Amino acid sequence: MSSLANGVIVSALNLGKRVVTAEGPLDILSGVSFEIKSGESLAIIGVSGSGKSTLLGLLAGLDVPTEGEVVLAGERLTQLDEDGRARVRAGQVGFVFQSFHLLPALTALENVMLPMELAGVGDPESGARALLARVGLSERLTHYPRELSGGEQQRVAIARAFALRPAILFADEPTGNLDTATGARVVELLFELNRERNATLVLVTHDEAVAARCGRRIYLDMGRIVERR
Amino acid sequence: MARTARNFRQSLRLLARDWRAGELRLFVVALVIAVGAITAVGFFNDRVDRGLTRRSADVLGADLILTSSEPVAREWVDATARYGMKVAEALEFASVVIRGERLQIVGVRAIGAGYPPRGVVRTAPGLGQADRIETGIPAPGTAWVEPRVAQELALSMGDKIEVGSAAFTVARILTDEPGRSANFFALSPRVLIPLTDVPRTKVVQPGSRVSYRYAFAGAAVGLRAYEAWLRPQLGPSHRLVQAREGNPTIARAVERVERYVGLTSLLAVMLAGVAIAMGARRYSARHYDAAAMLRSLGATQRDILELYLPQLFVLGLVASAVGCVIGFVVQQVIYYLLQNLFPASLPLPGPWPAVFGISAGLITLAGFALIPILRLRSVPPLRVLRRELAPLPVSAWAVIAAAGAALVILMWRYTGSLALTLGVLAGAAVAIAALFALTLGFLRLARGLRSGAGSIWRQGLDRLQRRAHASTGQILAFGLTLMAMAVLVLVRTDLLSSWREQLPDDAPNYFVFNVLPDNAPAVEAFLRDHALRSQPLYPMVRGRLTEINGAPAMQAVAAKDKDSGPDVENAALQRDLNLTWAAAAPSDNVIVRGQWWGEKPGAALISVEEKLAERLGVGLGDRLTFVIGSDPVEATVASIRRVKWESFHPNFFVIFSPGSLDGYPATYMTSFYVAPEQKPLLTNLVRQFPGATLFELDQLINQIRSVVRQASLAVELVLLFVLAAGFAVLYAALASSLDERYYEGALLRTFGASRWQLRRGHLAEFVTLGVLAGVLAAIGTEAIAYVLYTRVFDIAYTPKWPVWIAAPLVGGVLIGVAGFIGTRRVVERSPLTMLREN
Repeated sequence: MSSLANGVIVSALNLGKRVVTAEGPLDILSGVSFEIKSGESLAIIGVSGSGKSTLLGLLAGLDVPTEGEVVLAGERLTQLDEDGRARVRAGQVGFVFQSFHLLPALTALENVMLPMELAGVGDPESGARALLARVGLSERLTHYPRELSGGEQQRVAIARAFALRPAILFADEPTGNLDTATGARVVELLFELNRERNATLVLVTHDEAVAARCGRRIYLDMGRIVERR
Repeated sequence: MARTARNFRQSLRLLARDWRAGELRLFVVALVIAVGAITAVGFFNDRVDRGLTRRSADVLGADLILTSSEPVAREWVDATARYGMKVAEALEFASVVIRGERLQIVGVRAIGAGYPPRGVVRTAPGLGQADRIETGIPAPGTAWVEPRVAQELALSMGDKIEVGSAAFTVARILTDEPGRSANFFALSPRVLIPLTDVPRTKVVQPGSRVSYRYAFAGAAVGLRAYEAWLRPQLGPSHRLVQAREGNPTIARAVERVERYVGLTSLLAVMLAGVAIAMGARRYSARHYDAAAMLRSLGATQRDILELYLPQLFVLGLVASAVGCVIGFVVQQVIYYLLQNLFPASLPLPGPWPAVFGISAGLITLAGFALIPILRLRSVPPLRVLRRELAPLPVSAWAVIAAAGAALVILMWRYTGSLALTLGVLAGAAVAIAALFALTLGFLRLARGLRSGAGSIWRQGLDRLQRRAHASTGQILAFGLTLMAMAVLVLVRTDLLSSWREQLPDDAPNYFVFNVLPDNAPAVEAFLRDHALRSQPLYPMVRGRLTEINGAPAMQAVAAKDKDSGPDVENAALQRDLNLTWAAAAPSDNVIVRGQWWGEKPGAALISVEEKLAERLGVGLGDRLTFVIGSDPVEATVASIRRVKWESFHPNFFVIFSPGSLDGYPATYMTSFYVAPEQKPLLTNLVRQFPGATLFELDQLINQIRSVVRQASLAVELVLLFVLAAGFAVLYAALASSLDERYYEGALLRTFGASRWQLRRGHLAEFVTLGVLAGVLAAIGTEAIAYVLYTRVFDIAYTPKWPVWIAAPLVGGVLIGVAGFIGTRRVVERSPLTMLREN
């Protein structure tokens, strides 16, 4: 990991994203700037279409801004090509998605093993077993995603996200596909693991209650930051 | 490097997991069927091919025969050892066999050790007695004679005959020998003597007309090499004949089978390609999420390639190997099931079809599946957040170019001709473009029909419209498959019936020659009175072509001989021709140029056989001079004829107009059919007309029939394999739309659609799809059949009306039923499960 100035692990500087539509150019994000320090937790809040998922994609280097700059773990993402950004993500970044994104052909255990296998970590199986035990799925190791409930699938996804001990975890509406009670349990688990592993958490949500558990909150509307708490 | 190795291991793990989860089954099944079909066709083809070549060789008595009017350089014979070949020498000459007061003109064949290198000689201890296979040649001082010689000269075993200056003891009756059929127009009966006794006869003198004959047999590789070595050294007096050229009927049957099998193999490859392309597309689309997830986890584009390409390769290799084994087993099983139908055991196929099958599998996979799989590399990682993001569609040209390149490689291997391959592919590309346009037109037409349709059909038509892009692809895939099947069935049917027509049950099985002009009306009456189906009697005058438009004819022939290789027509020019005259053209001859003469043509006119005319370079109006006896006769070419040589009718290279050959000594001849129970009549015929000579063709006809039976069987079998490949395409096409259907079906059921409503909608959609594909197939079939019949198989073409009914009907039923069954899962599982899986 590159040395981090003042412990800042992510910084967004005057970020903008413009897309061309049939009706002309459309600004999805504009003038977004903030910093996140290592170990912090930040919620990005906004209604549907406010640009929060776009912002998350830019911060994680999954997409490139049309203006501004993102520095992730000391690397200026805008100066890297797609594979360069992938290398920054590798081992540093974990994801939890609204729609879980488990591979349907892999069992729960194999889904968690996959990032470790890709990174060449020794004995991925025992690591994955331990993580699945931590999220309460010891009994479900050999189940395929279709045999798991939504809450269980998201817990597998969380275990997978922490498999490589990422420095920063991006979570996109992690409770969006879950009922309130299940969502609450999943969020609880997410914050517990985040604390245990001392990771930075960037969480996109439209749920105030979930956001309230984060150290800092940024409110987005029409692609601009309208409030910071 | 370490990363690549790690990726490779991971790739195998992912492959195993995908396999276990059933993700790859469609893909593998398509590939296994494809390679299975390709190799089964390949193995069987190879085997039948070896069998047919061997049989043709048996009929001719050698794989390759060299004839010459003088002994060839010793080196040519000695060289055969280098190529691992056997050679047997023989010397042929016409002679007169004398016994006491009686004489008989015979064709003497003096044979050396090892004759014949292929096929067998059969002899009997006496006239009418059971024969057996001979393993050697006549002992010095003895002769084997054909029954006709024994009859004419009233010979018994142990009697002495004279050939030239030497006496021979008749030891056996010669009942069958190879090569007899090839030149049955050489009318004289055969006498076999040992080659070592030739000097004693003193027949071979400077200037005497003898033919040196070298019969070769050996493995195909050695033969080809030897032929390649020998051919450039041949002079105008040499003829080199391959087993397949020896008998035009067998050669044509084999040639057609090969073309048909070649065609089916090509169609199997193309169909397999379509199935694989569809399987690959589905595989690729189902892995977009996985690729996006891997990218978000930090996998580079190279990692993605290193994770997926080995899967494709390993999968291709394993599936191709399995396909190969299945191809071999299927071929073997069918061979054993039908073993008693084969006249002799076929040699085992060689290893090449397996090598080709596996490489064909990999090449097909590369051509049709590589590009869809390469798309995985370009899946944007952002897809993990925005699922609608798919990689940019690859250029259709890239896909077509890759598939086209694969097909060119495969077809080139099959056809051995780049020009033919490119021609076929260009034709196919134009046809597919035209069919694509037609399909779009159909869909538009279907929209017009929508208002008049019931609600169920409307639902089906609406679905086709909504998914116009996918529907067009499916209709095209189904249409091409149905077309391939229809073309093969049609060609097969017409090929078989044209063979049967060629040798109908009442094909003439006897020739009668040497009928004196005075006896001709009586012979005609005899044949008519006994209801023997006969051809007209033709006069026959022997003459030699000497000049073309005043220039020596041999110059033209010798010049052309070298580059195109010897054949029947050349042989016709190197000896006397049987000339005839006729007022009307023979019934089965076709005038291809010029006109048949009227009642009383003033000048001497001739009609020349098509290929001979082509070889001689003569056309209408050219003047040909023949020497009959010692008189030159000049005639003008009035027409060019196509002759069915395999018809066993009296056939002539040159026919004169009536009156042109008046005054020259002629005998009459014809052919006729004698049923087994009528055979005693022949004795009467011979008694009544003692000068006439009978020639029996039954054995030859039976040989040819068995070759045709074998060939027909091969044709039927390869058709099965292509049908299997066709079903793979149907399966793949169906499966390619299943994911979307599951999702849509689940949604519709959530909205309250009943299972039956959905099922009827599916049925309507697939029946419509099938009918449209059928119409498309009918159009394509008609066009392709026309080209194939007229250009490739040389069969008369008639419009194929039944296809216009059968193809849409079969398409509707087949695809309707297959689609109906294939989509049953859409309503069988709970909507919740379906939605969750999606």
